[in-house]
Amino acid sequence: MTNLNAIDPAAVAEEARIENDDVVIAKSAIILRRFLRNKTAVAGLVIFLALTVFSFVGGILSPWDKETIDPFNIGMPPSGEHLLGTSQAGIDLYALMVEGTRISILIGLVVGLVSVLIAAVYGCTMAYFGGKVDKVMLFILEALIMMPALLVVAVATSGGGNGLRENLPSWLLLIIVLLVFSWMGTARLIRSLSMSLMQRDFVKAAQYMGIPARRIVWRHLVPNIGSLLVLDVTRGVTGAILAEVAFSFIGIGIKVPDVSLGVLINQATSQVQTFPWMFWVPLVVMFLLTGSLAMMNDGLRDAFDPSSSSVGSAKKTAGKRNK
Amino acid sequence: MSRETTAGAEMTAERLHVAGLHAAGDGAAGAVLSVRDLNVRFNSENGVVHAVRGVDFDLLPGKTLGIVGESGSGKSVTSLAIMGLLPTTAEISGSVKLNGKELLGLSDKAMCRYRGNDIAMVFQDPLSSLTPVYTVGHQIIEALTVHHPKMSNQAKEARAVELLGMVGIPSPKDRLKAFPHEFSGGMRQRVMIAIAIANNPRVLIADEPTTALDVTIQAQVLEVLHTAQEETGAAVVMITHDLGVVAGMADDIMVMYAGKPVETGSVDDIYYSPRMPYTMGLLGAVPRVDIAEKASLVPIEGIPPNLIHEPTGCSFAPRCPLVSDACLKGEPELWPVSGPRGAGSGMAGSGAHKAACIKTDSLGAEVDVHEIFHAPAVPVSRFDAVPRLERRKVLELRDVRKHFPLLKGSLIKRRIGTVKAVDGLSFDIREGECFSIVGESGCGKTTTLLEIMEFHKDQDGEVTIGGLSNKAASDARTKTAMRKELQMVFQDPTGALDPRFTVFEVLSEPLENAGLDKPAIRKRIMELMELVGLQPDHVNRFPNQFSGGQRQRIGIARALAVNPKLVVLDEPVSALDVSVQAGVINLLDKLRAELGLSYLMVAHDLSVVRHISNRVAVMYLGKIVEIGDVDNVFDNPRHPYTRALLSAIPVPDPQLERTRERIILQGDLPSPLDAPKGCNFATRCPVFAALPAAKQEKCLTLEPPLEPVSSPQAAPATAATAAAATAAAAVRAARAAVQTADQQFACFFPDGELDADMLVVHDSP
Repeated sequence: MTNLNAIDPAAVAEEARIENDDVVIAKSAIILRRFLRNKTAVAGLVIFLALTVFSFVGGILSPWDKETIDPFNIGMPPSGEHLLGTSQAGIDLYALMVEGTRISILIGLVVGLVSVLIAAVYGCTMAYFGGKVDKVMLFILEALIMMPALLVVAVATSGGGNGLRENLPSWLLLIIVLLVFSWMGTARLIRSLSMSLMQRDFVKAAQYMGIPARRIVWRHLVPNIGSLLVLDVTRGVTGAILAEVAFSFIGIGIKVPDVSLGVLINQATSQVQTFPWMFWVPLVVMFLLTGSLAMMNDGLRDAFDPSSSSVGSAKKTAGKRNK
Repeated sequence: MSRETTAGAEMTAERLHVAGLHAAGDGAAGAVLSVRDLNVRFNSENGVVHAVRGVDFDLLPGKTLGIVGESGSGKSVTSLAIMGLLPTTAEISGSVKLNGKELLGLSDKAMCRYRGNDIAMVFQDPLSSLTPVYTVGHQIIEALTVHHPKMSNQAKEARAVELLGMVGIPSPKDRLKAFPHEFSGGMRQRVMIAIAIANNPRVLIADEPTTALDVTIQAQVLEVLHTAQEETGAAVVMITHDLGVVAGMADDIMVMYAGKPVETGSVDDIYYSPRMPYTMGLLGAVPRVDIAEKASLVPIEGIPPNLIHEPTGCSFAPRCPLVSDACLKGEPELWPVSGPRGAGSGMAGSGAHKAACIKTDSLGAEVDVHEIFHAPAVPVSRFDAVPRLERRKVLELRDVRKHFPLLKGSLIKRRIGTVKAVDGLSFDIREGECFSIVGESGCGKTTTLLEIMEFHKDQDGEVTIGGLSNKAASDARTKTAMRKELQMVFQDPTGALDPRFTVFEVLSEPLENAGLDKPAIRKRIMELMELVGLQPDHVNRFPNQFSGGQRQRIGIARALAVNPKLVVLDEPVSALDVSVQAGVINLLDKLRAELGLSYLMVAHDLSVVRHISNRVAVMYLGKIVEIGDVDNVFDNPRHPYTRALLSAIPVPDPQLERTRERIILQGDLPSPLDAPKGCNFATRCPVFAALPAAKQEKCLTLEPPLEPVSSPQAAPATAATAAAATAAAAVRAARAAVQTADQQFACFFPDGELDADMLVVHDSP
């Protein structure tokens, strides 16, 4: 039997060489490095984090909240007292913005994360069982894609959903409805991806070793689609934020007294001329939010895609060295 | 060795001398392509990689230069740099002159005037280098239009037809309108060659043109490439890792290692008196299909150096068995080799034999590679002494069939035919032997493996693993018992390992499944690592931190984890470099002897099969056409298909290659749909083609059964005696079916009844 504790000098030297030479780089380090190489993506991440922090702690910086009406300043443009001005009702816009951004980010994150989770479970199940189960589940999926989401949202949040509306805040209702209609595309993608993973040699090897199928799915399939899921989360978040804004804008999403970016934009559209700050401030914030996510997405794709060509240029580095 | 002492001082002088020897003036006289001090750098995650470091060569018109080396040695990068096809992020320096005109530094647009016109390229993968949405005619004409905009449409079409005919595509006029998917891989590669030679290029660069193809097709394509060269008088740069492929074609060879040429010379110099240990190792690592004598292969340990750091000494030193302190002082330049076969003895116009090794002079032809590289002794299994029939059967297949229905129609599926992927296969494997299945792709090798690995009760035919039949495998317990006897090693070592598992997790998976406890698993994993020659402390690494050969070793360790009796090897070394391949083959050989394993191997590389196998079966369209002891089958092939396969294998021996007569099979594997009624092989059979019509009838209507060779092991050396011996054998066969030789074949008219000369396609048409 080999003595496991024996130290082989050659091995140690080899080990040292590998450490020093930077030959072996952890995957996470490569991903981080590739992400950081994309300056746009880093900027996007910074903006997104800043907005998130703002939406949670921004309230402390201002004495006003979204309920308090300032009777002396109604419909006033930005001033020292009200940083972003006040609404037609005399509510501080800054306070409204903090609240609205938070709701919008919340909706985006929850819908983005949960829909990808649903998609992963649904897609993996389809691929794993195959056959009849796959066909039926695929049919349900296709049926959901065919359904006009707009109508359902309209019905659920206004006329038909009275019972629901009494028990749930409107943002929660919107999250649920958005969730129902947001996971199908990803699920189909994950299904096809896991199906091709099932054909990979390492899955076959596990099968030939007699490993039960359930364990194969859990240990081999799910971790291997992880990077795709990360990408899909950011895409889902953007989609959900935009959907919230759109639905609220046409008046079927978030309902007053709840505030969101969409609600704010909607309220201001009719009086862009008279209260321009009421329109432009939420619009810019929304744009920053979705824009930062889009910027990040590109960097994440670069970072996670194994076939990515993001290795930088030899010329640049050579030039630096020559200097 | 006076050179060693003044190496530094002489280096520059030597360099000038080298350039001067090659080049009169700036570009060599008459050289169509001359490359000087080509350097290419890329950026990577780890830093700047110096991928090509100072490549020099001159290519004379009509000559062929073979560039050989392991993957990552900079062969392809060199060719892409010449073509100007490297990404803009790469830094290229040096000089590439085509007919005296500098190509480096030209803009992409300026380069387009040369690309496809004066200098053309044939790529490795014919499946993806043609655009699927255009007809091949369109693509050939496109190549013509780009460089000859004034050519009339009729002229272009006529030229396209001529080109297709030149590369041997039957009825070229009709095929002009065919789409790439209507062609097989070999045919597509011919089309690629047709496109490349469309404008009569002065230089043709072929980057591994046959690597993706079957051996029989490879022989065809090499022939076409040769014809194309003769027709256009182009100089060819042939890039390959297969020393056999270039042996017959090239005039000069350049061996590359770590981005630098380490040995150059005429083909005879390189093959018969290599002076650089790396070249010697490469040559020793290739198994030979034409040699029965069993010797271990020469493994080159280690991996090529990391080109991020400039090597301080000889780049090969860390892997070289002859390394001394002097090797680590400065990288050696290419020095002319002195000696009987040195400068001047090469072909006219070719460069002198040069090697980048300070020990060149002490390495003559008389040095034994096996000794230098410490090739292990041939391992002997305890089963080798036991006669085959007395050993236990570990696997038996009886009349296994796998037919796929071919359906057509969108709503109501009609069965329009059957694909007989595996059609009545029977063989057995005994303890301690290696049984190989060979054949072209599409012959049913992989389906056979799947039938064995995915055994189930309702299979057509019987699979018996370790005494347990698939017919009895209804409960999970029996299935598990059968699975335990049988494990598999996959072709692609990267794909076979979950990228997110450490080696420890990879190896513990089957052990956990077998119900071992934690300490036992740890102990077993350490044993396994030792067994396959990996360092036990590497268990916590991920597969991507290992080289290809090491990954394959991990795959082998995983297969051995549960102590199987039979290991199924699906092309175990085809994804590996020659030097690494040798190590893995030696390991497999050793394990077979030490652990008493049996192997079922599927491979398309007949040299590997010859080296490792005891018995071999040749498959064609789902049927075994010849089966038997590997030496019997390879030395005395009886079925015309086996003969064709064997003759198509390139041998790393230039003189043999030049004189060898190839049986080149016409066409490709027929679609299984219209498989012939009688003998499957009749459509491509050279014997059949030469038969009188009366005898052809028999081939077309009757299916030849597998029959033993009943002559008392007549192993005739030449075709002439083969004819005599088989004629005699036929008489004797009628008298008594005494089977002495372990060889069976399925053909009515084995070679014996015809003059072998009739079947051979000679080089000169």
